[in-house]
Amino acid sequence: MTTTLIFYFFAATLIFAAFRVITVRNPVHAALFLVLTFFSSAAIWLLLQAEFLAIALVLVYVGAVMVLFLFVVMMLDINFAPLREGFAKHLPVGLTVGFLILIEMVMVVTHWKGLANPSTVVTTEMSNTKMLGQVLYTVYAYPFEIAAAILLVAMIAAIALTSRLHNRAKYQKPEQQVVVRREDRIRLISMPAEPKD
Amino acid sequence: MTFTFTPTDLTILLPEITLLTMACLTLAIDAYLPQNMRNLTYQLAQGTLIGTALLVFATYPQQPTVAMSNMFVSDPMGAVLKIFALLIVAVAFLYSKGYLQDRRMFKGEYFVLGLFATLGMMIMISAHSLLTIYLGLELLSLSLYTMVAMHRDSQSATEAAMKYFVLGAIASGMLLYGMSILYGVTNTLDLTTLAQYLNQPQSDNHTFLLFGLVFVIVGLAFKLGAVPFHMWVPDVYQGAPTAVTLFISSAPKLAAFALLMRLLADGLQALHSDWQSILILLSILSMALGNLVAIAQTNLKRMLAYSTIAHVGYLMLGVLTATKGGYAASMFYVLVYSLMSLGAFGMIILLSRAGFEAENISDFKGLNDRSPWYAFIMSILMLSMAGVPPMLGFWAKLSVLNQLVEAGLVWLAVVAVLFAIIGAFYYLRMVWMMYFEKAQDTSPLQANMDLRVAISANGLVILLLGMAPNMLMTLCLGTLGIG
Amino acid sequence: MEPLVLSDFLTLGAGLFCISVAGIFLNRKNLIILLMCIELMLLAVNMNFIAFSHFNGDIQGQVFVFFILTVAAAESAIGLAILVVLFRNRQTINVEDLNSMKG
Repeated sequence: MTTTLIFYFFAATLIFAAFRVITVRNPVHAALFLVLTFFSSAAIWLLLQAEFLAIALVLVYVGAVMVLFLFVVMMLDINFAPLREGFAKHLPVGLTVGFLILIEMVMVVTHWKGLANPSTVVTTEMSNTKMLGQVLYTVYAYPFEIAAAILLVAMIAAIALTSRLHNRAKYQKPEQQVVVRREDRIRLISMPAEPKD
Repeated sequence: MTFTFTPTDLTILLPEITLLTMACLTLAIDAYLPQNMRNLTYQLAQGTLIGTALLVFATYPQQPTVAMSNMFVSDPMGAVLKIFALLIVAVAFLYSKGYLQDRRMFKGEYFVLGLFATLGMMIMISAHSLLTIYLGLELLSLSLYTMVAMHRDSQSATEAAMKYFVLGAIASGMLLYGMSILYGVTNTLDLTTLAQYLNQPQSDNHTFLLFGLVFVIVGLAFKLGAVPFHMWVPDVYQGAPTAVTLFISSAPKLAAFALLMRLLADGLQALHSDWQSILILLSILSMALGNLVAIAQTNLKRMLAYSTIAHVGYLMLGVLTATKGGYAASMFYVLVYSLMSLGAFGMIILLSRAGFEAENISDFKGLNDRSPWYAFIMSILMLSMAGVPPMLGFWAKLSVLNQLVEAGLVWLAVVAVLFAIIGAFYYLRMVWMMYFEKAQDTSPLQANMDLRVAISANGLVILLLGMAPNMLMTLCLGTLGIG
Repeated sequence: MEPLVLSDFLTLGAGLFCISVAGIFLNRKNLIILLMCIELMLLAVNMNFIAFSHFNGDIQGQVFVFFILTVAAAESAIGLAILVVLFRNRQTINVEDLNSMKG
């Protein structure tokens, strides 16, 4: 009963926030609404007893990914006005398409009866985190290693694409400054004095 | 989902482990190399690819073996696809070396990302769980997005990378949604258990399975570049640096074929009557649009992109019969296609030089006057792509069509032949231009010796395999346990 | 009020998925919002997996979500890197300006 109420509250917040993400003018606001979306889903995942993932969603997404989004939005100094052109034009089509897909999908999923013979319900004796940890490093060791490779690729990609190692920045070389001699900087030349007119 | 681990698991995975270790090592060594020793990175990458291919050959499995808690399968089909993928990537690196040096793009990241992309392909080829299929696909895609954007100062390259990224990410989302539904119905991620579940008679779950299947196929079609989910292909092929287009158009197609096989044949074989009709639609649309739009192109890279779309249509013809013979025919087709595509993009690199991209069709005019030998090699490639007998491409098309007829889809075979005839036009136009029109650009070719030798070998391999098509076809049939 | 059933969560996932698809349609010009729509789409998928995992009493769905979260973080890092490079080249992230190639 209480769970049902809590679910409907967070579900409504989730849908509202997600809807605002795609309709607000300012990308900073969109990013903040996306944060709200993530928070509400984390709450719903808690209802589903996926505690570890709920916390991970908040830590990884709200804590890291969304901050990255906000950084990029602010760093790039984009003129957002032209990006809104055509929004009103696409609005009817976009909403109609979205709504039609929604109706079809809901028609299918609301008839879901669940498995004919569900296996034993997850034992509650062990904490969710422990359960995940136990399989992650044993059964799922192979995908875990692949995920590591994917993160490495992301790192290489971000550095290779955006770093400017060989740019035109000027910097001091102290070791050369120390060993510099008078002769390196000044050259005395004797010139014949110019005759006076 | 029981945890099983034996030391033999590691021997089965030896090629993948070697490739990953060497890729990391290459990355670390490259970071300390001065620019004038960058060649060492290239040599390390080549050595890794050849060594891994030899390892796959040495551990060639006689029958399918699973490892790592059933997430990895090592079977003859996978081994052949892996050896081809590794060698094709090695040749692609060889082709692109001079091109990258001329354009100040000769950086270690290109080769390291190429190695990681190859690892992604191998993981996809050997995937035996929805999870490893997804992870392999992402490892491949993320490396490819980055390689396209690597030419940072080129507007068209970054634009192509952005389009590729957005559409690729949407495709992954669709595929995942489909996978989540499949998981919900069957309660498993393992492909064998999935297939076993689907083989039992079931009454009320069919709608949900279909619902998931549609999303999976939309995701697959995006990744393959089949019409109507093809819009990224021409822009990415044209916008990316030719060295990267060469990479994208060859070996990843083998992985895409493996993706189709693992999901549809290994996992969802029981639903074949449902996915067959969707694939028929996709392949007809791809053959039609690819071949018709290619005629109107003036940019050779764009023309080859549309030709890829058409070839994807033919590739699906074999798979959609849902028979072992059909799968073997499609495998033959994809091996042949990746060899031809490698050669065709290699020719663009051969004719390009610093500050000049030979990417327009008119750049090939009068090639016979400039270099009769390379005009001959390019003709082999074009005639083979067109499917003119007795070229290799003809045998590939023929084997796919044979399987269609055997499966009773004669009308589809007739449609495929009609579009093949239309498609032959633009390939033959290339040959006409090379032999019967005057050259606009009469400067001699400037390519390095290794590129010249490799591309000649590429053309001759296609010519010789065309003389003895049974060799490759027997290999494909053998890997699927026929003949 | 009756207790929650699986289809409640699936409907929520479907709603989220549709919002993200509609968002991709609506914000075709603004790449940053497009990237956010992709995040929403993956969130919908995660919602499905976790709901199935709970109601079918099976941990595999949660493990899958763990990997989707990892990959999606890597994916958005690469997406934003490409976006930055694109902006440096063209001073815009407008998708409709991305039309140097036609045919």
